[in-house]
Amino acid sequence: MSELDRRDFLKIVGLSAGAAAAVGCGDPVDKLIPYVIQPEEITPGIAVVYASTCMECPAACGLHVKTREGRPIKLEGNPEHPINQGRLCARGQVGLGRTYHPDRIEGPATRSGDGSLQAVSWDDAKNKLVAKIGSAPQKTWILGGAVGPSLDGLIDQFVTATGIAGRLTYEPFGPHALIEASEAVFGVSAVPVFDISGADLIVDFGADFLDTGPSPAEHAGQFSKTRDLATHSDGGARLISIGPRQNLTASNADYWIATAPGSEGLLALALAKAVSDRLGSNAAGAALAGADISAAIAAAEIERNVFDGLVDKLVSAKHAVVLPPGIASSTTAGAGSAAAVLLLNVVLGAVGSQLKIPATDAKPTSTLKDVTALIAEMKAGNVDCLLIHDLNPVYALPASAGFKEALTKVGLVVSFASLVDETTEVANLLVPDHTAMESWGDASPRPGIRSLVQPTLRPLFDTQALGDTLLSVGRAMGGGVADQLPSGSWKSVVEANWSDTNWRKALARGGVFEPMPTREVTVAASAANLRPSAARLQGSGDLTLVTFPHSYYGDGRGAALPWMQEIPDPVTKLSWNSWAEISFAKAKELDVVFGDVLTIDTGTGSFDVSVFPRGGVREDIVAIPIGQGHTVGHYASMAGDGEPGVARGVNVAAILPTALDEAGGQAYLSTRATVTKTGRFRRLALSQWTDNQRKRGLAPEVSIYDLAQTGGMAHFVAAAQASEAGGEGMGEGEHAEAAAGGHHFEGPPFTFDAANDSHPDQPYRWGMTIDNDKCTGCSACIAACYIENNGTIVGELEAIRHREMTWLRIERYVGDGDDDVRDSSERRPTPDGEILGLNEVRHLPMLCQHCGAAPCESVCPVIATYHSPEGLNAMIYNRCVGTRYCANNCVYKVRRFNYFDYGRLNWPGLLGLMLNPDVTVRGQGVMEKCTFCAQRISAARQPAKDEGREIADGEVVMACQQACPSGAIEFGNVKDTASVAALKAKQGDERSYHALQELNTRSAITYLAQVRREKNEGVH
Amino acid sequence: MVPPPASAVADSMNVPGRPRDSQTNVDILAVTKGFHWPWLLAFLASVSGVLMALGALTYQTYYGLGVAGYQAPVFWGVYIITFVFWIGIGHAGTLISAILFLFRAKWRNAINRGAETMTVFAVLTAALFPLIHIGRLWKFYFLLPYPNQRYLWVNFKSPLIWDVFAINTYLTISVLFFFVGLIPDIAIARDRAVGWKKVVYTIVSAGWQGSGKQWKAHNRTILHLSGIATPLVLSVHSIVSWDFAMSIVPGWHATIFAPYFVAGAIFGGFAMVVIVMVPVRRIFRLEEYITDYHFENMSRFILFTSLICAYAYGAEYFIAWYSGIEPEQTSFWQRAFGPYWFSTWSMITFNVIMPQLLWIKRLRTNIPFLFVLCFFINVGMWFERYVIIITSLSREYVPAAWGLYIPSTVELMVLTGSFCWFAMFFLLFLKMFPIIAITEVKELTIHARDHAEGGQH
Repeated sequence: MSELDRRDFLKIVGLSAGAAAAVGCGDPVDKLIPYVIQPEEITPGIAVVYASTCMECPAACGLHVKTREGRPIKLEGNPEHPINQGRLCARGQVGLGRTYHPDRIEGPATRSGDGSLQAVSWDDAKNKLVAKIGSAPQKTWILGGAVGPSLDGLIDQFVTATGIAGRLTYEPFGPHALIEASEAVFGVSAVPVFDISGADLIVDFGADFLDTGPSPAEHAGQFSKTRDLATHSDGGARLISIGPRQNLTASNADYWIATAPGSEGLLALALAKAVSDRLGSNAAGAALAGADISAAIAAAEIERNVFDGLVDKLVSAKHAVVLPPGIASSTTAGAGSAAAVLLLNVVLGAVGSQLKIPATDAKPTSTLKDVTALIAEMKAGNVDCLLIHDLNPVYALPASAGFKEALTKVGLVVSFASLVDETTEVANLLVPDHTAMESWGDASPRPGIRSLVQPTLRPLFDTQALGDTLLSVGRAMGGGVADQLPSGSWKSVVEANWSDTNWRKALARGGVFEPMPTREVTVAASAANLRPSAARLQGSGDLTLVTFPHSYYGDGRGAALPWMQEIPDPVTKLSWNSWAEISFAKAKELDVVFGDVLTIDTGTGSFDVSVFPRGGVREDIVAIPIGQGHTVGHYASMAGDGEPGVARGVNVAAILPTALDEAGGQAYLSTRATVTKTGRFRRLALSQWTDNQRKRGLAPEVSIYDLAQTGGMAHFVAAAQASEAGGEGMGEGEHAEAAAGGHHFEGPPFTFDAANDSHPDQPYRWGMTIDNDKCTGCSACIAACYIENNGTIVGELEAIRHREMTWLRIERYVGDGDDDVRDSSERRPTPDGEILGLNEVRHLPMLCQHCGAAPCESVCPVIATYHSPEGLNAMIYNRCVGTRYCANNCVYKVRRFNYFDYGRLNWPGLLGLMLNPDVTVRGQGVMEKCTFCAQRISAARQPAKDEGREIADGEVVMACQQACPSGAIEFGNVKDTASVAALKAKQGDERSYHALQELNTRSAITYLAQVRREKNEGVH
Repeated sequence: MVPPPASAVADSMNVPGRPRDSQTNVDILAVTKGFHWPWLLAFLASVSGVLMALGALTYQTYYGLGVAGYQAPVFWGVYIITFVFWIGIGHAGTLISAILFLFRAKWRNAINRGAETMTVFAVLTAALFPLIHIGRLWKFYFLLPYPNQRYLWVNFKSPLIWDVFAINTYLTISVLFFFVGLIPDIAIARDRAVGWKKVVYTIVSAGWQGSGKQWKAHNRTILHLSGIATPLVLSVHSIVSWDFAMSIVPGWHATIFAPYFVAGAIFGGFAMVVIVMVPVRRIFRLEEYITDYHFENMSRFILFTSLICAYAYGAEYFIAWYSGIEPEQTSFWQRAFGPYWFSTWSMITFNVIMPQLLWIKRLRTNIPFLFVLCFFINVGMWFERYVIIITSLSREYVPAAWGLYIPSTVELMVLTGSFCWFAMFFLLFLKMFPIIAITEVKELTIHARDHAEGGQH
């Protein structure tokens, strides 16, 4: 490049002129640039969908990545994938945001002496690595999280080829205890797979399978099917949840038994013994010999009759399955507890049906014990180079393990992370990996299922796939290393691993899916060696510290994603921070109310956190979610709120001791804590002020017995609006059902036909049927709605002020509520409904009801909101002047106001690239609300018009409906009586109702009331 | 209202040494001349207040309404409260000018100019608030049914559009009424003015010569305008009340709202007349024209309308209880004992309990007492709207969506600015035009004199 040639000269002149013009103007000029050569498969305006795999958690759900003009904009479940079967949980939905995240590391960098980062070229980075590893391979370690089989194999090859000291694959929430238990009980080192689809009784010892369990989307789908009233007239499977805290699974359970923390294993073994005695089974052999029923009952602190009730239920069930304790209940005897649960499954005959043992052994992974050994090596100066991938050990490892201190003894800390985190903050060399959206890869959540990851956009930054980095480093090391590594690029490595399949077909389908090969197992003699014991707790406080995985943060990785911060926790409805749950009794004793700051001291460490008293925890525990307390990250820490380096919430790793279970995994339930009042107050973002529905019948419940006997909703209606005035309101309209006796309705409480609320010439009246009985409250729909409809994230300070912009929320009520007018004006009223061991939680997804007689429409002075001919309650943003009258008059309170110019302010960095181009980004000062995904209806209309037909049922799928793991939401044309939505509303006739129907808003959403399958008295 | 016996008028007006016509001219026009320290201080204060509010408003318009305290589910706040408050204030003027004119309540003549002035500026102030309150101020013209190529039209079903029409009509009629009444007085001022003021007065007085023909036309116009304005006194606040009553919000959806709001408006409006006229009378030495008798009559009005308000408050609670509708009952319970209890109890104390002191005649003519009482009444009236708007919105049908609203600094700055805005115009008016209707006062004097001389009515 000696001289400017003519072309370059012209380019530069043009560019400078353009730049000058752009700078000169007030607003930068944005141009839509058409493709010069249009890629064959891309038609602007038409989405292209690629199959891939979700890498947010080890469940590895199948994805359909929807891309527009070369940019992924939405993730949906892959219907062909056997794990999630087309559905996708909240974490999966927002995983897309990682790629466009403002925390992305934009290229390789080294940290200089003063701590600042210097960008380097990939060659320099590689050379630095090569030099360091080459100088002392025996002092080099790789520490990483679980990765797909291809990458796993490549890393192993790299370790062997370069002769480095070793590699640890550590997942904080890994199934170590379960593998150890399987090893002991069955003699096979495999991860047992729980299939609850055929079960008629599910006992959860804390796996929290609907929320934070091993495969929540899959299990929620199975749970929904096995309790579907359409196919199970008796209500299907019953769920009993056991544990000291009412988690989301317990909220959905028929019974929740609040046992003492850490007693699960003893209880499971005692149950196995009792059931085995009752059934006269000898399946478990001598393994049950040591079970002590009385001691277990005492340890669990339950009544004898509760235990007997449990035994009765287990004995009478035909297909019972028991799930092992999860992270929140992982004690130092975690493997023993898991073993006891496996034995109970054996006794119940679940092995082989509901509990499957894969035919192949699980690949051994590392445990906290191995990591502590590495830390010891580091401290001893035996580690000079540490390569860290897919893990944030500085954050996730217990502070007491001393990892961060040990890192200072390591010469070169290399991080492959894509996003900044606590580990990249202390790493000396950053060699950023692509995100899952940008790279090739694969996953195999269990034998038989192989799932592919494929790139769906060109890498946004100067990053390189971890596989390619390892290959290039290895090849540069010389000395025959290259020969031991596969040839070609990382992509060709993946392809080579898939050479036994039809690559193109697998790519199109998202993988190769076969039934899991299983094996027959019997109880091994070693079963008696691994025994559950009471939890050994360190520290001396009066409360047991229960740290539970947060629904959306996982082991902390989800905290970086703003949607995960903003969507309220499904149980407490809190967002954006940490909280400590204590019982009301304990709160009274400490004289604290919601928001008061407590000091939690375990002896290992202490921190301050705001309190959230609730009825759903035992009096002897304090429960704190895992995953918050990051000090790095735009959203994960307070950096986005202008306080860089300040933690958002608390990291439980700071106060947990390094306690190990028998398998060497971390025991999260391992310490007692002293809880003291500080006198300070820190407001938390609580999206729902009360869980008392005040007998307004918003989320009614119908008992399975009433359903069977009367075929009506007498139970609900009597408890719902007792007022005659409400009844009169409902009497309006030609479809009114007579209000019998003036107090309750007989027969279906329909007062109108929603199908009439569109233009008579129109073939469509869009409507929705939501089955509250299927809704678990998981909030996947909310995440889907945010991503699909460009919903903005407002941040903690705004969320505290109820300014969240969600179009869809899930209201959580406890029981029918109390209609006493005297509701306190405290920060949060004491919900009397939530009583230990009683389960009356109701979930009500609340979104725009697209009312036939919408209160919002008549009051808008400028007709910015109006009734479309197809019955939609439509919103014209351009016309809105923002009087907000519609929001005041909306009885469902689903309208949201753009308080600021969110479209401009709230999409930092490249985050705006994930906006859905089909949906308007709302400007400052206008109202917005659920549109029934009007863009999806439009997308379906065009092909139908081309083919001269009407839009068929099922052609339009709402984002929320698509995501829902339990299939609770059906959308369709309710004018078409054969549509699924109309049919479901009709099938569930005796359960169907409209929210606030007494106001005669003629809502287009038919809810199906939740069903109580058991008398709610607990197993007492 | 019972007009005082003619003899009482004569007693109060025709005292020995009663100013002659020429003296009346001088006394009243003296307000516009010369230099008054209190006026200057008040004017500077109000101008700074307006500038502050303007700054706050610019900030709000640029960044968005998020700088105000709005939060779901309370989407209306201080701005709408203040809007209704000022519309209410703007009632007394027309009531005094038009209705009392039609009823021939002659005592009104001394205060009607002040009340009309207050009305015009109060409505002008009020009319700003719907604009300040909307999310996209720059699109305010969407609220008007103007012809456009896209056939966009307003929604005549919306009470907000009724508001637009009601306020504009009221403002037009008030301004006309005000202006027509001013013409003869401006002519008097014109005859005594020099320099640029003379030019202004000459233009504004529209060629008034005081001929018999002009007087006849003037009086007919006033009469007709009174006839037109009278229903407006009732309609404007009725329509404003329908912003609430036409909605489905518990606590808003009530048939009593129209009379309740009108009575409240007159109540607050009269209190505001007292607040305005007391310092004017004092500073500009107009005790001879605005007498204790006038204040007593206004006190009676205040007492009467206070009782209507008290009835309306009671009726609301009764109906809430009687309806048996739980959301309605809860809403009202929350008003009195919920987080906004202070606003409800302020309202009841200031609007119902304190005005009962006016049963005592001595207090009705105790000017300092009246001034303080009327101040509290206006605070109470502001809180009345606070109660209606904020507490109702904060406790609606879906308990999960309940929430609280706290006004922000920006809103309080704009609220303060609105008083300054009003005061600024009022003070300017004081210095430009006669604050007491000279010709009408003379009319009274002549009437009283004739009465005294003729010995009969």
